[in-house]
Amino acid sequence: MNRRNFVRNMATSASGIILGNALVQNAVAATASPAGPADRMKEVLRYRKLDAHVHLGLSKDGPEVNVDFAERLGIDRMFISKPVTSGPATPDDFRAANDVILKAMKRYPGKLTGMLTLNPAYPKASLEEIKRCTGEGMTGIKVYHQVKINDPLFYPVIERLIDLKMIMLMHAEATLGIAGYRMKYDQGIKPNASRPEDFVEAAARYPEAMLQYAHIGGGPDWEYACKLLKNSPNVYIDVSGSNNENNMVEFAVKCVGADRILFGSDNMYYQSVGKIIDARLTEEEKRKIFFDNYYNILKKGGYHVD
Amino acid sequence: MLIDINAYTGHWPFKQLRDNHCEGLLGRMKEYGVDLSVVTNLNGIFYKNTQSANEELYEEVRSKRAYRDRFLPFAIINPIYAGWKADFLTCVKDFGMKGIRVFPNYHDYTIDDPALLDLVKMARDHDVPVALTMRVVDSRQRSWMDLAAEWAMKDYVPLVQAVPDAKYMMLNLSTGMALSAEQETVLKNANVLFDTSGRHITHFANVYRRFGKEKFAFGSHFPVFDYYTGLLRIESLRPEEAEEADRALFCSGNARRFLKV
Repeated sequence: MNRRNFVRNMATSASGIILGNALVQNAVAATASPAGPADRMKEVLRYRKLDAHVHLGLSKDGPEVNVDFAERLGIDRMFISKPVTSGPATPDDFRAANDVILKAMKRYPGKLTGMLTLNPAYPKASLEEIKRCTGEGMTGIKVYHQVKINDPLFYPVIERLIDLKMIMLMHAEATLGIAGYRMKYDQGIKPNASRPEDFVEAAARYPEAMLQYAHIGGGPDWEYACKLLKNSPNVYIDVSGSNNENNMVEFAVKCVGADRILFGSDNMYYQSVGKIIDARLTEEEKRKIFFDNYYNILKKGGYHVD
Repeated sequence: MLIDINAYTGHWPFKQLRDNHCEGLLGRMKEYGVDLSVVTNLNGIFYKNTQSANEELYEEVRSKRAYRDRFLPFAIINPIYAGWKADFLTCVKDFGMKGIRVFPNYHDYTIDDPALLDLVKMARDHDVPVALTMRVVDSRQRSWMDLAAEWAMKDYVPLVQAVPDAKYMMLNLSTGMALSAEQETVLKNANVLFDTSGRHITHFANVYRRFGKEKFAFGSHFPVFDYYTGLLRIESLRPEEAEEADRALFCSGNARRFLKV
């Protein structure tokens, strides 16, 4: 190494060391005023929250884990379900799943409210299950991907929900190669999952129905979904799921308005709360998303939250 | 004190990012009381010549006193592209960059590529960390032009085994944290710092106990992710889950020790 390079490298190395140390002192001085962790947690806890999309049975955890997170993050009530995620989803399957939820509701009556699951391929049993579960205090339906939401098999279910003024939460996809979207990339899974287009069709056929698109944080192309659902006023978008991408919530509000966005977690609590708290939205918009919108949906059917 | 060990500037070509520059990042830092941020230019993932992105970042950081005071730039080095050794030396010695990041999935080489091993050894010898990003965005929402495959935590373990005395960061733990007992031992014994941004940290107290409280630090993954979630994982810990001293480790103590700031 020639001397000139040696001297230059020594100088820059030394300046790097000095820079590193100086960064600490200067940085501390510059951040004297922002809210600290206690204030931030107060803000998190200050918002009343209704979690419009939670599950039981996705892992070995029992309902006590859900409730623990509710207490940790200030979630007033969780609307919890156990969709049948594999196999034929026979009446025995969905009744058993709903029984798990009924048991959890009895264990945590102040915290958990059930959303029943069913498979509309079994129409008689599905309608009977709606009657049974709503009679036990469930206030919504959560269905998975056995049948597309716009399939005629769903018509009797949706019509029943219209009568009950009850929302239906439906798993959705907007992913390359699934359920009809860009099938040159066929992933070979969930052929009957519902795409945003399917929601649009169902919503148009039944404008009195309330449909919940689950979930823009769950892995789909959320820009695609939000744009497509813009003109379906009876489709609500839930922001639940494991993704907490910056601008996701703001984009949804921009596309469909704050009144049609629902806080949900899909058991991903940190992300689902954090991304709303951080979103560049007004106080009123955050309150609507966390609580008011879902509360208003419940009120339509006479289901109340204290 | 708060240090964010995982933040970015730059663009993601398949989706608009907001506040994807030093000024935008600084705004969030001020809002949340974050003192320092490790920052990397996302453009380096997509430029064939990553050094152009490193130069962009260097110029942006040095353009303003507030940036120089608050940002710890990391370089993206592609060890199978021309001039990478000179790039490394320029970034570390001339630009004062505090670490490097590698993206073998995007830059299309394997974890056992000899050039990567050479790079990691160089980083070790210069006492700078090597940051490994489990993923940038969720492949389920990928563009038709983006990668379909993701790498899980276990896929990086061979690198740690090959150069066990290097310093590693494992960022955005979102692609699966399942490890064999042997693999877990490798990571526990290595000088690895994880950040708190990733979705597989579903219960932070359980996760940090698995690897040790010295191994975690706040990371935002902003502006790909929202700024707060990685911090919420720490701030929502109950006193019985983490004492104040432990939280201080997660907020800055572990990062300061690791980055020597």
